Amino acid sequence: MNWDLVFTENNIRRLLIGDYPVSLGGVALTVELSLIGMVFATLLGFLVGYLRFAGPRPVRWLAGGYVELLRNIPLLVLVFWAYFAPPYFGFKPTKFSSVLLAIVLFNAAYIAEVVRSGLLSVPVGQIEAARAIGLSPLQQALYVMLPVAAFNTIPAMTGRYITLLKGTSLAFLIGLSEVTEIGRQINNRLLTAPIEVYATLLVIYFCLNRTLSALMRLLEDRRRFNRVFCLFVR
Amino acid sequence: MYQPDWSILLGEAGRLLLDGALVTLELSGFALVLALLLGFLFGVLRWSEIRLLRPVCWLYVEFLRNTPPLVQLLFWYFSATVILPTSVVMVLRDYGFQFVAAVFALGLYHSGFIAEIVRGGLNAIPRGQYEAAEAIGFGFPHTVRYILLPQLLRIIAPSLVNETVSLVKNTSLALAIGVADITYQARYIDYATFRGVEALTAVTVFYLVLCSSIAGLGHYLQRRLSRNRRTAT
Repeated sequence: MNWDLVFTENNIRRLLIGDYPVSLGGVALTVELSLIGMVFATLLGFLVGYLRFAGPRPVRWLAGGYVELLRNIPLLVLVFWAYFAPPYFGFKPTKFSSVLLAIVLFNAAYIAEVVRSGLLSVPVGQIEAARAIGLSPLQQALYVMLPVAAFNTIPAMTGRYITLLKGTSLAFLIGLSEVTEIGRQINNRLLTAPIEVYATLLVIYFCLNRTLSALMRLLEDRRRFNRVFCLFVR
Repeated sequence: MYQPDWSILLGEAGRLLLDGALVTLELSGFALVLALLLGFLFGVLRWSEIRLLRPVCWLYVEFLRNTPPLVQLLFWYFSATVILPTSVVMVLRDYGFQFVAAVFALGLYHSGFIAEIVRGGLNAIPRGQYEAAEAIGFGFPHTVRYILLPQLLRIIAPSLVNETVSLVKNTSLALAIGVADITYQARYIDYATFRGVEALTAVTVFYLVLCSSIAGLGHYLQRRLSRNRRTAT
């Protein structure tokens, strides 16, 4: 085993932050990509899920079509669409934005399904009560349905976020220097320690995902969830 | 504005895509069999709660589920040449080393998820039923055949179908180690002929049709299974 070949100061720094002053990479880029992806996928997912649940009929079909389409295509094919197809139409996207777009569109479809099942778990009586006291549809959605649905979907969302984080590794196939790409570069330079390099990558992802699910589990506490929720919805 | 030329899909490019589609199907099939075998094994072991095996099974499932399939694929592919004896590697080379590595890695990855599905299904069957089976004199094979399996399959069928769809989609990752599946062929056509849009469209339609039919089959099976359901009430 050649662990000391892998864990040189230079390699550790590259795995963590890439070639930072020049360009951010490594774990930092993976985390950045995941966090931005989570925010946008969640927003889009909630929108599509809500429209599928309560939109007018044509919109509901459209949202359903979006979910069915995106859930039956591999993420990799979406990444290739987002990166290799635009140049044919005279537009060159950055690697980061391509991967981000693919990840957001792909995971939003799954999150929409999670949200829809969350909305179905809101007791009908509560929605009727909200309507009875004269809340507008937007107020009903924001103050009555959203808090209940969002809280009920936390466990499923955790699974989705983990899949999203794992999906960022696909970025290396178009050459974005997140942690998998850095690992591949280190392996290509060493050539003698593939097990050590890739085992390190696996452990890094494992730690990231366990941290993520531990953080999400904090939100499963009703009062803590309400405090966080009130930061966003007034 | 780019003018797509769909007729290329009828020529050489179409043949390459067809080859790739066959590889995707083969890869999915083999990986699914492996995933089901290992998944059921570890699912039953996790459910049985044998104290010695508990940390092993936990580590197996959690590690497989919390790391990217792509990195696992690279790990197994590059490690195999180091771990396995040279003679075995030489034999595997003849059968497409990349293909075997991809089957192994993808099968293993999804077995982690299937193990959790199986464990969940087994937990959903009340323990009292085994005791009842024993009380009326069923042996182990009869209990499995008439009490356990019919209920288990009905409970886990929808999740298993979802997992199959997910597995088929993940076979596209195999291009990272050079398996010439349909996604790989699309990239190749893009390099060689600058007709990437047409190729990607064909690939998208292929996955869409394949995955929706698996999901559709799942819905059909689920309806069939719940129709024959007899409740105790």
